[in-house]
Amino acid sequence: MSVIKAKNITKVYTETAVPVYALNGVTLNVEEGEFTAIVGPSGCGKTTLLNILGGLDNPTEGSVEVANTDITGMKDNKLIDFRLNNIGFVFQAYNLIPVLTNLENVEFIMLLQKRDKKERQERAMDLLDQMGIADKANQRPSELSGGQQQRVAVARALASKPKFILADEPTANLDSKATSQLLDMMAQMNKEENATFVFATHDQRVIDKARRVVTLVDGKVESDVTR
Amino acid sequence: MLFKIAWKNVWRSRGRSLVVIGSIIVGVWALLFGTGFMNGFMVGYMANIIDHDISNIQIHNPEFKKDYDVKYWIKDGKKKAEAMREWEGVRGATTRIIVSGMISSPKKASGVQIRGIDLENESKVTSLDSIINEGTYFEGIKRNPIIIGSKLAENLSVKLRSKVVLTFNDGHGNITAGAFRIVGIVKSSSIAISETYAFVRQEDLTKLIDLGDVVHEIAILTEPQIEEATIVAQYHKMFNNDLAESWREIAPELAVMDEMYGSMLYVLMGIILTALIFGIVNTMLMAVLERFRELGMLMAVGMNKVRVYLMILVETVFLGIVGAPLGLLVGWLTIYYYRINGVDLSNYSEGLESFGYASILYPYVDTNVYFIVTIGVIITTVIAALYPAWKAVKLKPVEALHKL
Repeated sequence: MSVIKAKNITKVYTETAVPVYALNGVTLNVEEGEFTAIVGPSGCGKTTLLNILGGLDNPTEGSVEVANTDITGMKDNKLIDFRLNNIGFVFQAYNLIPVLTNLENVEFIMLLQKRDKKERQERAMDLLDQMGIADKANQRPSELSGGQQQRVAVARALASKPKFILADEPTANLDSKATSQLLDMMAQMNKEENATFVFATHDQRVIDKARRVVTLVDGKVESDVTR
Repeated sequence: MLFKIAWKNVWRSRGRSLVVIGSIIVGVWALLFGTGFMNGFMVGYMANIIDHDISNIQIHNPEFKKDYDVKYWIKDGKKKAEAMREWEGVRGATTRIIVSGMISSPKKASGVQIRGIDLENESKVTSLDSIINEGTYFEGIKRNPIIIGSKLAENLSVKLRSKVVLTFNDGHGNITAGAFRIVGIVKSSSIAISETYAFVRQEDLTKLIDLGDVVHEIAILTEPQIEEATIVAQYHKMFNNDLAESWREIAPELAVMDEMYGSMLYVLMGIILTALIFGIVNTMLMAVLERFRELGMLMAVGMNKVRVYLMILVETVFLGIVGAPLGLLVGWLTIYYYRINGVDLSNYSEGLESFGYASILYPYVDTNVYFIVTIGVIITTVIAALYPAWKAVKLKPVEALHKL
């Protein structure tokens, strides 16, 4: 079953003297349980595509369906609620809430979903445990290493039980050991929780782990390989 | 958790929040102390005039106040005063004979209002005996003692036991005079008492005006919680031929001042709270701008605009909730201390006294002012939060997330 159906996505930036085509007619379907990497050189449109798939940005042309719901042109507040319940995000700079503990950071997203306290705490703790950082639950993000913070961010993204998780350069700030650990854990979550991951990356280690690799060049899909 | 995040966010930039909280404390304190200071001036000034001079209520013959002619006395004035002393809400009632005339010393002369007073009741109503600065309250001189104000004594170049002559028209229009000896000199910030009144015993003046046992004025001191209008209405109901007036009618300028000082609280509050708004807006705007990326992330992962708006609003209100009670406490303590010890303005006493103000000021703030100030600060913080909160919800997550 397709969780993402992107049809003929075009994104044109017209603020410059010459219009810039960040994406030019990209069509992409992502099936449930996929571990997909969108790769390509800098400026090829990876992040733009991820933003559009995640409902953070609108395409100039084309449409995006997430779990059979067309999100293109959806009103802001409705889209925020839709993202809350359907899409998980992992950012390059972790973007955790610094004033909350790691447990509270994971719990927070479920609080927005109005889940009850017991369920929130149990799931948050369980996810931190699966990510191997249960012992850091009551510490603040600033007390963790970059790799550990990114694991908290992955746990947060999974907490809301989204249809898929978008990860924009999740390993860009990590060393090889942390990258390897993070990818192993994501792969494990993909297997155990059937979580769908879509990465935007140019990190070869991520590409090696991915089962499907979509290569973008100049805003167009150059190749789409499933391994 | 929204409140928890908001509370923790307040302390993220501890120094900045403390500066804002400090400014709220200083603002609230200044507001309370400023109001207390003005009230102290006003209450002191009014109390001085009401307690020592005009009293709460005065009763006259309706014709008397037109030109202070001695033939317009109050019918059965002494009996009426005696009856009123028994009324509920009346602390004291005294009678006076009032004559306009001249007072002369061997060196100088001056216009004067001669007041023939009932010694015992006058001290109960105006506490005249308590403001004697030199000499005694009609003791030590048997024949025609007189008390005058310090300024008048200075103008006439007289001192205790000096002889002065009072000249005025008696009840039949004839000029009459009497020699009096100064038994006491009163000192008061009231210009009338200090410069224009001369107090003599009622019986001495009765003989000189030759109208029999008459009085021209009944002055009444009421209990503090009693509205003067109630006693005035009661008097008019019983004795409808006389003119009974409260201090508001006798000295309308005092009533105007009373109202003006009341509205000064709001003026002062407006100025201080407006200044506070700018300080809070500045701080919160900085807090929002430096968290642009984080707010973008919150909106990206599913925190809706209402929640983001509320979070900023709650953060701002927390600043007020911490600052306002501390400001109220510091303000209350300051007022409490000076209410007991007074603010010594004796360095400026000459200038103040020439305007009828006391040189020791006792600040005073009504309980309801504390409530008004609290509500004012809360409203201020809410208003100050609106723009930063609006700025926060206006951001686009995709742009905010890519800001460095």
